[in-house]
Formats: sequence, structure tokens, C-alpha cells
Amino acid sequence: MMLILFLVMISAYLLGAFAALLSGRGAVGRGLVSAGAAVGSAAGLALGVLVIASGFPLTFTSARLLPLTGVALRLDGLGAFFLVVVGLVGCAAAIYAFGYSAQYAGRYSLRLLGVMFNLLLLALSLQVMADNALTFLVLWEAMSLTAYWLVLTEHDQRGTVRAGVWYLAMTHAGFAALIAMFLLLSGAELTTSFASMRAGAALLSPGSRNVVFLLALFGFGAKSGIIPLHVWLPMAHPVAPSHVSALLSGVVIKMGIYGLVRVLLDLMGGGPAWWGGVVLGVGAVSALLGVLYALMEHDLKRLLAYHSVENIGIILIGIGAGLIFHSYGLMTLAALGFISGLYHTINHASFKGLLFLGAGSVLHATGTRNMEEMGGLIKRMPWTALFFLVGSVAISALPPLNGFVSEWLVFQSLLGGSNIPTPEVAVVMPIAVGILALTSGLAAACFVKAFGITFLAIPRSREAEHAHESPPSMLAGMALLAIACVALGLAPFVVVPALGRVLAGLGGLPDTHAVFSLNLSLVAPNNFASMSPTLVALGLLFLLGLVPLVMLIFRVNRRWRVSDSWGCGRAGQTSRMEYTATAFAEPLRRVFAELYRPTKELSIDFHPDSKYFVQSIEYRSEITPWFEKVLYGPLLWFIRFVASLVRRLQSGSVHIYLFYIFVVLLILLLIARWS
Amino acid sequence: MTGYLLEISQALMALALAPGLVGFVRWWKARLQGRRGAPPWLVYYDLRKLFGKEVVISKNASWLFRFTPYLVFSSTLAVTLLVPLIAAPLPFDRVGDLLLVVYLLLLGTFFLALAGLDPGTAFGGMGASREMTIAAIAEPTIALSIFGLAVGAGSTNLGRIVAQTLAHPGAAISPGHLLGFAALFIVMLAETGRLPVDNPSTHLELTMIHEAMTLEYSGRYLALIEWAAALRLLIFFSLLANMFAPWGVATTLTPVAVSVAVIALIAKLGALGLVVALLETRLAKLRLFRVPELLAVSFVLALLAVTSSFLLR
Amino acid sequence: MNEHDAVFAQLATLGASLVLLFGIALLWRRSLRAYTKAFQWQSLVLSGMFVLVGYFGHDPQLYLMAVFFFVLKVLVIPWYLARLQRQVGGERESQPYVNIATSLITSGVLVLLAYIITRPVVRVSALPTRGGLPLAVGLIFVGLFVTITRRKALTQVVGFLVLENGIAMLAVLGTYGIPLIIELGVFLDVLMGFLVMQVFVYHIHGTFESIDVDQLDQLKH
Repeated sequence: MMLILFLVMISAYLLGAFAALLSGRGAVGRGLVSAGAAVGSAAGLALGVLVIASGFPLTFTSARLLPLTGVALRLDGLGAFFLVVVGLVGCAAAIYAFGYSAQYAGRYSLRLLGVMFNLLLLALSLQVMADNALTFLVLWEAMSLTAYWLVLTEHDQRGTVRAGVWYLAMTHAGFAALIAMFLLLSGAELTTSFASMRAGAALLSPGSRNVVFLLALFGFGAKSGIIPLHVWLPMAHPVAPSHVSALLSGVVIKMGIYGLVRVLLDLMGGGPAWWGGVVLGVGAVSALLGVLYALMEHDLKRLLAYHSVENIGIILIGIGAGLIFHSYGLMTLAALGFISGLYHTINHASFKGLLFLGAGSVLHATGTRNMEEMGGLIKRMPWTALFFLVGSVAISALPPLNGFVSEWLVFQSLLGGSNIPTPEVAVVMPIAVGILALTSGLAAACFVKAFGITFLAIPRSREAEHAHESPPSMLAGMALLAIACVALGLAPFVVVPALGRVLAGLGGLPDTHAVFSLNLSLVAPNNFASMSPTLVALGLLFLLGLVPLVMLIFRVNRRWRVSDSWGCGRAGQTSRMEYTATAFAEPLRRVFAELYRPTKELSIDFHPDSKYFVQSIEYRSEITPWFEKVLYGPLLWFIRFVASLVRRLQSGSVHIYLFYIFVVLLILLLIARWS
Repeated sequence: MTGYLLEISQALMALALAPGLVGFVRWWKARLQGRRGAPPWLVYYDLRKLFGKEVVISKNASWLFRFTPYLVFSSTLAVTLLVPLIAAPLPFDRVGDLLLVVYLLLLGTFFLALAGLDPGTAFGGMGASREMTIAAIAEPTIALSIFGLAVGAGSTNLGRIVAQTLAHPGAAISPGHLLGFAALFIVMLAETGRLPVDNPSTHLELTMIHEAMTLEYSGRYLALIEWAAALRLLIFFSLLANMFAPWGVATTLTPVAVSVAVIALIAKLGALGLVVALLETRLAKLRLFRVPELLAVSFVLALLAVTSSFLLR
Repeated sequence: MNEHDAVFAQLATLGASLVLLFGIALLWRRSLRAYTKAFQWQSLVLSGMFVLVGYFGHDPQLYLMAVFFFVLKVLVIPWYLARLQRQVGGERESQPYVNIATSLITSGVLVLLAYIITRPVVRVSALPTRGGLPLAVGLIFVGLFVTITRRKALTQVVGFLVLENGIAMLAVLGTYGIPLIIELGVFLDVLMGFLVMQVFVYHIHGTFESIDVDQLDQLKH
């Protein structure tokens, strides 16, 4: 059964890619491409669920599948969980792509888009099954390169190529770190299986274990977009086609999380407390700065991209707390930390996927990503608006949707910090609690802005006025993820024990699937707290029905009429009187001015005859991009400097290049002879 | 069974008391300022009047605008089922903890801010923007206060916190407890829109926060929102009273204990109402951009509360 | 720990927290008057702490110290400060180097650091007053922070005085007061230091028409 699903998954992806290669155009071509991807991801989803439910890992004897290549695949609980994440978002994005990519016909290469989309999904699905370093690295590179091509789809738009270059550079810097890490871990033998690496890791000296940790944090962090390695993320994710953005933000960056958990917890078996502290610190900084920069964005997709940085931060807070507890041997709490991180991973995948698809629909309808030109879309695109609202409530961590449940778990694991014996370490926890709370508050503010300015009030441009609802396939893709958001929010009593089982045994974590479940409530360990989102949702629904009913019984006046908005006696209302996104974020920009360092430019044109009549006012305000300036500026300068040195070697003559090759070959042979 | 009955009657009592509490604070304030003031029960008449009026809806508004009053009211009412007003622990203690209470209230704020943006007027946008700013920067203080309480009680469940403080009355004068109380008190002023953060009686456009958001509401919608705001005040008052000084809360469900608890609750609400009225008479409204500084004060208080209960174990 | 000590410990920590809170309240205010006021209240509570420790620690000398402390810090120095302020004009601390919200949060972090730093001492100490030690160290940090980040010479003076209060609190909580004669010497030092600073403030004001210390860098040219 599992093997069949596995083969269906692989062949569907390959067929999808093949169909795209033959002809990606036309409804049939697009349909085949989407169908391949959708069936493939659905099969992956089913496979993941089956493996988690059965609790037995699935192993493939590599020799029979692909002899002599050193490929080794094995799907255990952790991999299966991430396979579910891939399948969920992949399936929704694939269905959505059918409608969305129609607009690309004749403008961009649908063939390339279809092939790369299917291959990316294939690479992602196999990534989580890799069972030795070589397989892992090859698939990692395949994932990075296919994603690169997808980012470049709209290659003639401004900023796309630049974003692609940044992405490629950062991801390869990370890749180099990962190669070094695996070389250290496997004793320079990349085909060593993970099982023997696990045994070998315990024998490494503390020094090299620390180096492995730092390399892993850098390599996987660059993929996940942790601050300060995040600069490529808000560039690359927005310029990709929207269903690809959903996949990039929902799934691809999660591979960094997968890698961190796999290496730090599974292969290394945990480490000293400061590892967890560093991960927690990086997470807290990423969460807070991510949301603060998102608040200042008025490009809808860039805003969402910054929120990905934020949510990766929240995930890492959970995982960091888990690592800290693990180092003190508080295994149940450690499991809670990891569970909260992983739970937030799948939650973020579903709501961020949903939001990116929603933003894609808005882009599809209005042709712009600039929020200041939107407005009033809730009347023209009611379904998209509803789905986007579900996503907004979920990402703002409001009950009863899924974002709240996982943040509640993160909070609970941090509150468990009072069990840590050394207060110097324990004190990290309340600080993280404060930062996490601020982050979620700011996220709520940010999504009031994102939803309110985009969908509510009066249209701010002609395009927004003539917006149209998306085709059914796009709505279906969004609906799938919206349902996932609701279901994941209402059923934590299923998800949390499943995650407990997934984590059981990794790094000596106990099987906690019994600890957390108690009929409909979530109960944190040691009976620390309990909460039931299911009952809360039911209660809210009940009250939402009861209140109007009571009002009906008491015969409250039910008449209503429509009229103008009240406006201090002004004659008419235009969209220029509305609050803008910039204005909405202004108080927070002033509160956090020390971080943003906004620059202000105000130029007023007066009437030539009298300065009491103003002809035009121009106001410009920008925030200082710190990281680009302080961190990457010197780095880029250094790279240019080195590059100019290297350029001296370049003469353009083929003979010289051949000579170089010959000399290097000789030197290598000589070294090999005497070493 | 008695527990559930008590739970429902507690919510109904909160519904009934809340407008009176708002009226009471207003009345005291007027008295302290040397005015005669409207009677405390005027608020009930206002609500009845509003429920009897026709609703006028802006032509720019969408379904969200009409849905929001119900959601705000329901989510606030749901909170009254979770907070131990007169007895602890209640059967719904298992359904939600202190974090859920905070986030349910934030859910109401979220939708109210969206509804403020919906009619497309500048006032609504201004109110929404300010409200969300304040709500966001008040959040860390709330979370840290919860942390402080939870570390002391070993739980974030409200019933357990109440029981813990009742069992160890000495802890009530510990610095952690007092600092936490002070921190949450400041946040309460911000969250319920009282002076010095927001002026509940202003209708001067540029200084309003909460009022600006709800400017477009009328009739029964406004009634629901005002009632929810009153409930919110009652919830914060009783959280402050019963988390930090839970004496009087019924731990057994005998008629005597419950009636004592009701009287104690009304007395505590009255005392806090008087304090707020006094403060509102003494203090001027802060400039909007000094509010973050005030909230930073509360944050530091909460941080000190947590560290002292955390590091001096 | 007996009942007597338990009450003592609770009260000492509470008092120390109050003293620290006045130090932090300083950071929130802008006008020099408010600074003086906060300092005055802080000193008042601190002299109460002397009495408290004297009562529970059975050391009557501390009563005498409390009186000295009260006279010097609650009456004399605030009075002097007010006079100075009248003479140089009541300038406001409107633009400190670090804005107010950040200063407040920084002070919170400083106190946290104080907790961590004093942890080893507090752990081995058997004093009922040990709960206040981190707070005293925290107050010293806050005082230093005020002197570093405030622009006006007078607010800096208050910062220095707060720092000195922190040291006094550390002394009274940590050792139940050092011998009277040394304590008196310290008081005298503070008074002298204060007077010297006062002369400086006069001169700065005379030269620049302002007590903004920023302008001192003009002396370079």
C-alpha cells in the first residue's frame, strides 16, 4: 500500500513534468500539469498520514531502485510529517495553478513553469526521505535550483533577476555550510547512512559538535530566512508566481526547520543548553524584527514574505525551548517545545499558503501588489475576501483557528521554564514570552492593515473598482487551505498526540502521545494548563446564534437603512479621504523609530503669487534598511574586491585557461602522490 | 450540574452588572469633579433606547460591518463564562485559561478595528490604527503578568491561580504579586480605553481612539458594542480583583458562600471603580506618543514581578 | 526561618522594590522638578528601610543613621536642587540620548542582569534581607544609566544621587549598616561631591546659558 502510494507520487510528478515539457499551454496542458502535481501531492499526503498513523518507518532498499548511485531513502515519522506539509500546500497550490497560470500564456514560458513546479514538489517530497548525506545534499541542491527557476518566471519584471541572484547566492552559501557540516558528521564519507552518523555523532569531540551546530544553524537558517540571513526572502518570494510563493513560503523554508530538527535532535541527539539558547534567541529576534518590517510594507506579497520570517522565528522559539529543556533532561517539556514548533510549522504552511494564494487572486484581479491602490475588494471578490480573512485571523493567532493553538503551545512550553534548575538560563524564558506576545500583537495589527486596506472601504484605484472574482480552480485551492486552517485549529487533540508519536525516540524523547490528550481539551504536561479550542469554537458559534435570537425574542428594532458615512458635514466621500496603509502604520513607525530610523522628505510647491495657496505637496518617507547597509554592505564590498583580484587571472585566451587546468591537475596529482 | 448553572448565572450577572459599573464610574467621576452627574442607571436606559432605534449603515460598508457587533459581543460574553467572578474552580476552567481570555478579547478588538476601517472614513481608520497600536504594545505586559501569576500558581488556569492565592495569603503582599498587580492595572487602563490613554467621554475627533472606531455604528449595533465595552471593563476589574485578591470567591457551592461571593465581587468592583474615577479626575490624557512610554513602565513592572518571583525561589 | 524573619524578609524586599521603582520612575519623567520629587520619595523610603533594618536587626545605631539620612537626602539636597533649578531655570530633559521607552526597558534588563550577577552571593547568604540585594545593585546600575544618558547637568546630578542611594541600600541590606563613623564619612563625601557639582552646574550655565552638557564639546574648539 505504502509502496504503491510512493510510486504513484513519483510517477504523477514525473508525468506532470513530462506533460509540461510536451505542451504546457492551453487548458488541457495546464490541466495535465496541475493534475500531475495535485495527484502527486495528494499521494504524498496520504503516504505521510499512513506512516504517522502506523508508526512504522518505510525503508527503500536503494540498491534495487537505483544501483551504484548511493541513493538511500527512508521515510520515518519526522519525514512523514514534513511530507504531509508538502502534500497539503502542494496540492492546494497545484489546483490553484490551473487557473492562475492561464494569464501567463504567451507572456512567459509555461513549459518551464510546469516542469520546474513538478520537479520542485518531487525534490521536496524526496528530501524528507533522504537517508544519507549524499542523497540529502543532491536533493537539497535540486530543490534550490528548481526554486530558482520558478522565482525567475516573470524575468522581465523589475527586481526579479536581482531577487534571483540574491536567492541563489544566499542559498549556496548555506549549501556550502551544509556540505561542511555533513563532512564533519560523517567522517568525510558522504554515503554513510544517517543511522551510523547518529552513532558517530556521539563520539565527536565537543568542539566539533559545536562547529556542526553552528554550520547547521547557518546552512539551514539561510534556507529558512532567519534574521540576519533573511534579506533574500522578501525579495524572492514576492516576485515568483503566487502559487509558487505559497509553496516557497509555506514549504521550502520549512525544509530548514526539518534539517535543524533532523540534525540537532535526531542525528546529534541534542546538545548543551547554549545551543537551545542561540536557537531561541535567533527565533525571538527573527519573530520580532520580521513582524516589525512587515508592518512597514505596503506591497502585499512582500508583507507576507516578512511574516514568513516572523513565523519561522516563532517556530524556532518553540524548537529552541525544546533544545534547552532537552539539555536539562526535562524530556516531557522538551517534547512540548518541539511539538509546538512542529505544530506551528504545519499551521504556518497552511495559513501562509492560503494568504499567498489570496494575494495572488488580488494580484490577478487588480494587476498590482501595492495595497495603496486596492480597497473595497470584499464586495467584488467575496470568496477571496472570506478566505483571506480566515488566513488573517489564523496568522494573528486569534482563537479558535490554528495559529492560536500552536502559539498557545509555544507559550506553555516557555512557561515551563520555571522548571529549569539554573535561574540564569530560566530567565531567558520570560523575555521570550514578552517578545512572543509583542510579536503576536503586532501581527494582529499588521493583518488589520493588510485585510482592512486591501478588502474594505472604497476602491482606491480604477483597477480595484473593476476587480473580478477568481475562477473556481483558484477558489478551490484557497478553500482547501482555509479548511485546513479551521481543521488544524479545531482538532489539536488529534494533531498533538500524532506529533508526540512523530517525535518519540528522536534524541531520546519519550513517546508523549498519551500525555497531552484528554478528550477534547489540550492539557500541558504536569497538568499545567488546559484549553479546548473545539469547545471554544462551539461556544462562540452558539453565542453567535443565541445573541440574535434573544434580540429577536425581546423584539429589538430590526429596521435598517443605508446612507452616507458621517463626515463632519463634508459634501461627498472619495477614496482619497480614506486612511492609507502608510497612515495606519504611522503610530507604530513612530513608536519604533529607533529601529526604523525613518527618513523624511517634504517638499511643498506654493502658488507663485501667494504662499497661502499650495499647489502640491510631496511627502516621502523611507525606513533605513539596516541589514543591507551594515551587514551586507561590507560583505559585498569585500566580494567585489576579491573578484577584482581574481579578474587579473582572466585574460580571455583559451590557451591560458587550458594552461591553468593543466597546472592545477599536475598539482593535485603531486599532492595525491605524497599525501 | 450546579456548576454549570452557576456558570450561566455568573455570565448573566456580569451582563446585568456591566452597564451599572460604567454608570457608577461616571457618577463618581462627576461627583469628584463637583458636578451632580447622571444617575448610574442611565446607561441601562441608553442601551434600551439604542436597541429601539433604527440602524443606519454606511453605503461603503460590507457584511463584515454588520457581523462585527455580534462577534464582539459574543466573544466578550464567552470570556465571562471563563473568568471566575464568584466561584472557583468552575467547570469551564478546563475549556480555557488566562491566555485564551486575553486572546478572545483581542479577537474582538481585531474585528472592531476592521469594522472601523470598513466605512472608509478617516476617523474609523484613525481609531483602528491607534487601537491596534495600543493593543499590540500592551500585549507583552499582559503575557508577562500571566507568566508571573502562572509561575506562582503552577498553572495558567484561572481557577488554579485563585485557589493558589487563597491557600497562601502571604504571597499576596510579595513584591512579585504587587508589581504584577500594578502592571496589569496600567494595562487595564489602556485596554478598556480609560484615561490617561483614551478618554471615554470625548467626542473630539482627534483625541478619540475607541469612540472613533465605532463612530459609524448606531442603533442595536452600537448597543451591542457599548455593552461589550462595559463587559470588558467588568472583566478586567474582576480579573484584577480575583487574581490578586481572591478573598470572598466561593470555593464551595453553598448558598451562603455564593451570596458572600456576590457581595464581595460587587464591593471589589465598586472599590476599583472608585479608584479609576479618582484617577480620571486627577490625570490628564497623555499624548498618544507618550502612551508607549506608559506601557513601557508597565512592562518593566511586569518584568520585575516575574524576575522576583522567578529568581528568588 | 522563623516567623519574625519571614516578615522581615518580605518587608525588606518590598521596601527595596519600592526604592528601585522610584529610581525607575525617574526615567519616565522629563521635568527636573519631577526628578527631584522622585529622588525625595526614594530617599524617604530608604530612610524607612534604615529604621526597618534597625528594628529587626536590633541595631539602634541605624536609627541615628536614618535621621541623618533623612535630613540630608530628603530635606537638604532636594531643597538645594530646587534652589539651583530656580537659578538656572527649569529646563526640561526633553531629548535624552536614549528615548524614554527604550530607557525604561533597558533599566528592566539592567535589573535582570543585577539578579544574575548577584545570584552567587544571594545563594550563599543567610540574611533575611538577601532578597533586596539584587535590587540594590540594580538601582546602582539604573543610577549610572541615568547619568550616562541624560543631557542636562542637573538630571545627571540626580542620577549620581540615585546611584549613591543604591550604594547606601546595598550597605544597609548587606551588612546591616557599616560602622557609624564610616557611614558619616560617606555622607560627608556625598555632600561635598554634590556641592562641587553644584559649582560646575553654575559655571556651565554661566558659560553656555544652558545646562545642556552636550554643549561642552564646544570647549574643544
